[in-house]
Amino acid sequence: MPVGPFGIDPLIWAPLRLVIAVGLALFLVLNGALLQIYLERKIQAIIQDRLGPYHVGPFGLLQTFADALKLISKEDVRAQATDGWFFVAAPALVFCPMLASWVVLPFAQDIVGANLNVGLLYLTTLGSMTVLGIVIAGWASNNKYALVGGLRSAGQLISYEIPQILALVSVALVVGSLSMIDITRSQAGPLVNVLILPFSFVIYFIAALAETNRTPFDLPEAESELVAGWLTEYSGMRWGTMLALSEYGNVTVVCAIVTTLWFGGWQGPGVEAIPLLGVLWFTLKVYAFIVVMMWIRATLPRLRIDQLMSFCWKGLIPMALLNIVVVAVLALAFPTTKVPIAVASWLLLVVFVAGIPFVQRRRLRTLRARARAATAPAVRAAS
Amino acid sequence: MTFDFVEPVIFALLSIGVIAGGVAVVMLSRITAAALLMAFTFLCMAGMFVLLGAETIALFQVLIYVGAITVLILYGVMFTKFGDRPRALFFQRQTPLAAVFVAAVAIPVAIIGLSFTSATSRPGGGDLVALATSVFTDFAFPFEIASVLLLAAMVGAIVLTKREDPEEAALRRRR
Amino acid sequence: MTVPLGAYIVVSAALFFIGCAGVLVRRNAVVILMCVELMLNAANLALVAFSRKYGSIDERGSVFVIFVFVIAAAEVAVGLGIILSAYRNRPVVDVDEIHQMRG
Repeated sequence: MPVGPFGIDPLIWAPLRLVIAVGLALFLVLNGALLQIYLERKIQAIIQDRLGPYHVGPFGLLQTFADALKLISKEDVRAQATDGWFFVAAPALVFCPMLASWVVLPFAQDIVGANLNVGLLYLTTLGSMTVLGIVIAGWASNNKYALVGGLRSAGQLISYEIPQILALVSVALVVGSLSMIDITRSQAGPLVNVLILPFSFVIYFIAALAETNRTPFDLPEAESELVAGWLTEYSGMRWGTMLALSEYGNVTVVCAIVTTLWFGGWQGPGVEAIPLLGVLWFTLKVYAFIVVMMWIRATLPRLRIDQLMSFCWKGLIPMALLNIVVVAVLALAFPTTKVPIAVASWLLLVVFVAGIPFVQRRRLRTLRARARAATAPAVRAAS
Repeated sequence: MTFDFVEPVIFALLSIGVIAGGVAVVMLSRITAAALLMAFTFLCMAGMFVLLGAETIALFQVLIYVGAITVLILYGVMFTKFGDRPRALFFQRQTPLAAVFVAAVAIPVAIIGLSFTSATSRPGGGDLVALATSVFTDFAFPFEIASVLLLAAMVGAIVLTKREDPEEAALRRRR
Repeated sequence: MTVPLGAYIVVSAALFFIGCAGVLVRRNAVVILMCVELMLNAANLALVAFSRKYGSIDERGSVFVIFVFVIAAAEVAVGLGIILSAYRNRPVVDVDEIHQMRG
């Protein structure tokens, strides 16, 4: 009889391992959300020259625990016109895919729920399932703000999924694998993927901001326009599951993908000697990106819906496609070295960053001219 | 102790899910519920693909059917909102005829299907590399055709549904 | 004990005919579209199952599933476009009542 790790039968070990992974993921999601809400409030406060939470516990550390307790003990409010089962099912539909995607995140060399050879595809797939829950939530709330928020969100998520996946493709082309473990292993040493493929990293990060409903792409829940978008009718722990847990969980997953694909995952000084140190490096890197996301939220204003869509379809997607073509051609032309790919990718990045202001200025000019032409006859008729 | 019974049990659960979901799509009068149950059917189907050892196909199935097609259909449901239909208008007039036709074809097919008694093989290691190799070598030309088809469908859908902006139309007329 | 090929084929056939019945029986155009998707998916199951049994090492059967996905996505986009533009002219989604195209 074959013996697996810890002397357990491998057939039992396989499901057991999955159960442990899901349990750990649940633990990490719950506590990660608490920590990230605290971080978010503190960082926003520092940037806006405020104090942030400081009453509960030392430095206000227990504030989010108190908030969570409040949410859990809240009365379960449901508007009369909401759509029964859908209303209850929507938070679960948003939460479950996010939780399931934690299974393939490689925390360290051997600390991973399941080493799928299609891990990257798995993460993309689960990311796309969130849309369904949001649309259902918007529909079931039976409220026009919620419906508009849900439809906006569906449009946004489906659109930004495309540049996101296209950015992942270029990494898969260079690394030659979709397994999260293999991708991390390929980046041993200081040459991490971001030095080779900075452009796809930028595309992915922008698209990921939109995919997780973070500012400047938080239109689905724009409180000044839509009350709270698809979350309007939700309260108590349903709201908590949808917004706090799922949103912050998704942010963590996205940052973990960025870390694994472009920043070497668990790799770092001293990992060879002590493999467990990988968990520390991984967590540190992930939280660095989470803090960047919070910084962006405190800095940038929200986009308008037409700007959001045109930026995706006219800006990100063509550039991402160009990026794939360039990377694929160079990878075929120079199979031994990655220098040409790196040069091309940095050039593309420079063109992209430098080109945006010019394109934007031309667009604004044509928009203004059109508005003037449209109002001109009306002015003449009035005078 | 062996775990041979796991696969048939999972298969039975998934097939119950697939068939119940399919029946619900046809029988339910609430279209949003039908759309959600369709997504459930697709998920169970993805489970079957995993059971067959085709994980890549299973993931594409979820990505395309649940993530894109169900959401599109929900969009369609929301844009074509209408009141509840009376029960008499639920089915078409040709229902009995259709039932006879479907039964007449389905029964022989089921009998033929049951005659395949050999076990399915499950090569290890997944199907990703084999699938990719096939798509980009032997099936490269169909692959390109498919991409053209997708592009045509995208343009067609936009042309069909785009409402002309009155402001823009006025501007064009003036020119 | 593994699941025989016939079981997969029977499930596939069952789903196909459920979808077929739905297309023939329902009046709502959106539901008809959903049933067509079910039929396509049933075909996918049969393709993958046969590919596992009789296919060579290079997964030829599964390649067709990829093409079916493409067709399904294109079909649902165009189908919904047609339904929406018909709905815009007259707010009905009953296929029986959409007969203005008749000569």
